[in-house]
Amino acid sequence: MSMTRLSEITAAAVARLRRFHWSGEALLGILFVAPLMLWLAGAIVYPLISAIQLSFLDVGIIGTGGRFVGLENYIYMLSSAKFWPALGRSLIWILANAVLQTLAAFVAASILKQRFRGQGFARVWVILSWIVPTVVVVIIWRWMLGTSGGIVNYILLKVGLISAPVGFFGSGPVAFASVTLINSWRWFPLMTVILLAGMMVIPEELYEASKVDGASPWQRFTNITLPGLQQVLFVLGLVGTLWSVNVFDVIWLMTGGGPASGTTTLPLLIYDTAFKGYRLSRAAAASVLFGLLLLLFIAVFIRFFSPPSEEES
Amino acid sequence: MDKRHYFLMIVLTVGALALAACGGAAPTTAPATEPPALAPTAEAPTAGAPPSSEPINLTIWHMEQPPHRVQRFQELIDEFNVANPGIVVTQEVQSWNDIYTKAPAAVAAGNPPDMLFAIPDFTPVIRAVGAVQPVEDLVQELDSQHSLYPSAVAPYTYDGHTWAVPSWNVVHSLWYRKSALEEAGVNPPTTWAELLEAAKKLTTDTQYGIGLPANRQLYTDQTIYDMMINNGAEEIYNDDGTLRFNNPRTVEAFDFYKQLYQYSPPDSPNWMWGEAEACLNSGTCAMILQFAVITTFDAEVGDPAELGVTALPYSPNVDKAGTIAYPCGIMVLSPDPAKKAASYEFIRFLFEPENYGRFVTAEAGLFLPITEDGANADSFWGDPLITKYKDQIDVMLQNSQNGMLFGFTGGHTFPSIARISAQNLLAQSLQMMLLENMSPADAVAWGQQQMEEAIQ
Repeated sequence: MSMTRLSEITAAAVARLRRFHWSGEALLGILFVAPLMLWLAGAIVYPLISAIQLSFLDVGIIGTGGRFVGLENYIYMLSSAKFWPALGRSLIWILANAVLQTLAAFVAASILKQRFRGQGFARVWVILSWIVPTVVVVIIWRWMLGTSGGIVNYILLKVGLISAPVGFFGSGPVAFASVTLINSWRWFPLMTVILLAGMMVIPEELYEASKVDGASPWQRFTNITLPGLQQVLFVLGLVGTLWSVNVFDVIWLMTGGGPASGTTTLPLLIYDTAFKGYRLSRAAAASVLFGLLLLLFIAVFIRFFSPPSEEES
Repeated sequence: MDKRHYFLMIVLTVGALALAACGGAAPTTAPATEPPALAPTAEAPTAGAPPSSEPINLTIWHMEQPPHRVQRFQELIDEFNVANPGIVVTQEVQSWNDIYTKAPAAVAAGNPPDMLFAIPDFTPVIRAVGAVQPVEDLVQELDSQHSLYPSAVAPYTYDGHTWAVPSWNVVHSLWYRKSALEEAGVNPPTTWAELLEAAKKLTTDTQYGIGLPANRQLYTDQTIYDMMINNGAEEIYNDDGTLRFNNPRTVEAFDFYKQLYQYSPPDSPNWMWGEAEACLNSGTCAMILQFAVITTFDAEVGDPAELGVTALPYSPNVDKAGTIAYPCGIMVLSPDPAKKAASYEFIRFLFEPENYGRFVTAEAGLFLPITEDGANADSFWGDPLITKYKDQIDVMLQNSQNGMLFGFTGGHTFPSIARISAQNLLAQSLQMMLLENMSPADAVAWGQQQMEEAIQ
């Protein structure tokens, strides 16, 4: 870069600084956001930096000390036989939950959009499975799916669909499927409510006009409903994925990550490493890696899946 | 997102990483392998209310969650608080699933309880964070007054101190439905061959011969260790502290477990103790290995004549039955002299024979006395459930004489067992065999490798 060009840039920066003045309004604005910023700093930034710092040490049990070990924990986790399978399970978890919850939510929202007797009641109580505490959900489903007196096996045996009780948590893949279904059952109502709200703002005239033009239900769905829900689906896709990938409680309470690590996703591996294996620093390293992967996902998702602006559309 | 935003994100990320890497070591306490040295006290602190007008508040954490246990403890606590106006004891119920995590975190946060229930492999975890007080003075005093069973004290005594006051013992037995065995023409098994044969004969379209857990959980650790004990594989450490988990006797025990497992319900990989009891009580399982089922059995079935119990069957490699035994204990955490003295007062109260029986029968038929006078106390034998199931209790007491615990055998105490136990590595090894189709030998070898890594 030439000295002339550098001087021009510097002069422009100085001029911008000189134009800025600390008005009363600016100060008031800063004062209003200051408490939130302080809280964010304390509740998010400080723990984040602490976790990153911890990842470069060799701390075992919480509350004990550790020496600096550089990238040793990162190398260990990246070469660990547990890390990549857990990451793979997390990806499958995200996809499976996204597909199940989206399908269920679309069906439910489409039904709730119709006028029928009890519509108001249904629209309120569809949220029931979401508001029940996780522990209660787990207890209910554990007993329902049990082989000793569980209602699901009982019904399946009675109608002749199975000849012997099914061990819904008897193997890794089956347990994973069971927990995925339970988690989707728990979370799809929230998605339903959001989708329903999105559907309600799509003008009815568009549907009426398309019916006059002879459009099929599928054509109306793909050409009116889906485009109309682009913004909503974008937000749900981004936020829902971040929520879903961090689900810990249902899996931990239901299976503890088993059987034989069959339901151990990355959050469970991190917890297990920190608090069962007493390797806090290794868990911190895994957390940092996980956080970086999520940042990458956010960047890619926003880059490639952002809906077009109103002017563009 | 435009280029500026990408650039800003990268700068922030790199900045955070650089800031943290330059932060240096965390300035905390001594490393986990070297707990702080503690000077033993010459005499047990004695009593009474301190001169201050403020009562001494003590918090005791325990992991006995069933409501009837909590209620019994509260009755005893209330009586103690009334009799000792200068001390206020409060109980807080925790979970065995969480406590290995929660207790060290509480210590690190500066908010630990004053007393904490323990099992032998949990105490080293709390010791590692420098939170346990030596209590050999109180243990010696209680022994002189009530005659403690030495086998209950031994797992808590190492490195020159005793780290918890033993409170009661729990041991496994083989529980069975008498009517199921009679119908199948099977006698209560005493050997491995008989157990396998019985499990096979007892398995029908509506009943599983035996319920064996395969969860990654303490109950599974305990059950596979039962098999190991009864094949002579109870020692998982060599005398020098290295591991000998991978040996032929352990492999045989794993293989036997696999043979029995085919007669177990398909959801047992998700079992904890409650599911096994439910299986037996509902008649879905004919036999289970369990500490005790008396309370739930009485509530759900109610017929003592139907409930059978016997010692665990053993292989030809040993000459008598053994069982896993957990002498549970109470750790004193508070270093404050007044709180420590008050804690001692509370524990002394619990060991008085008129109180000890009621303390132990908080779960009648599960918790067994570990003192001579407690084992003969009217407060124990007078409990209605104990009276109703006296025959079963007698068998359990007899079984408890042959109890042992992994990591605390052969006169040794290896605190590193805490890391093995916290990760349920015995259960994980079993899962590799039962659920990942490893051979018994490969699964045991895998377990040995995992254990060696855990105790590094």
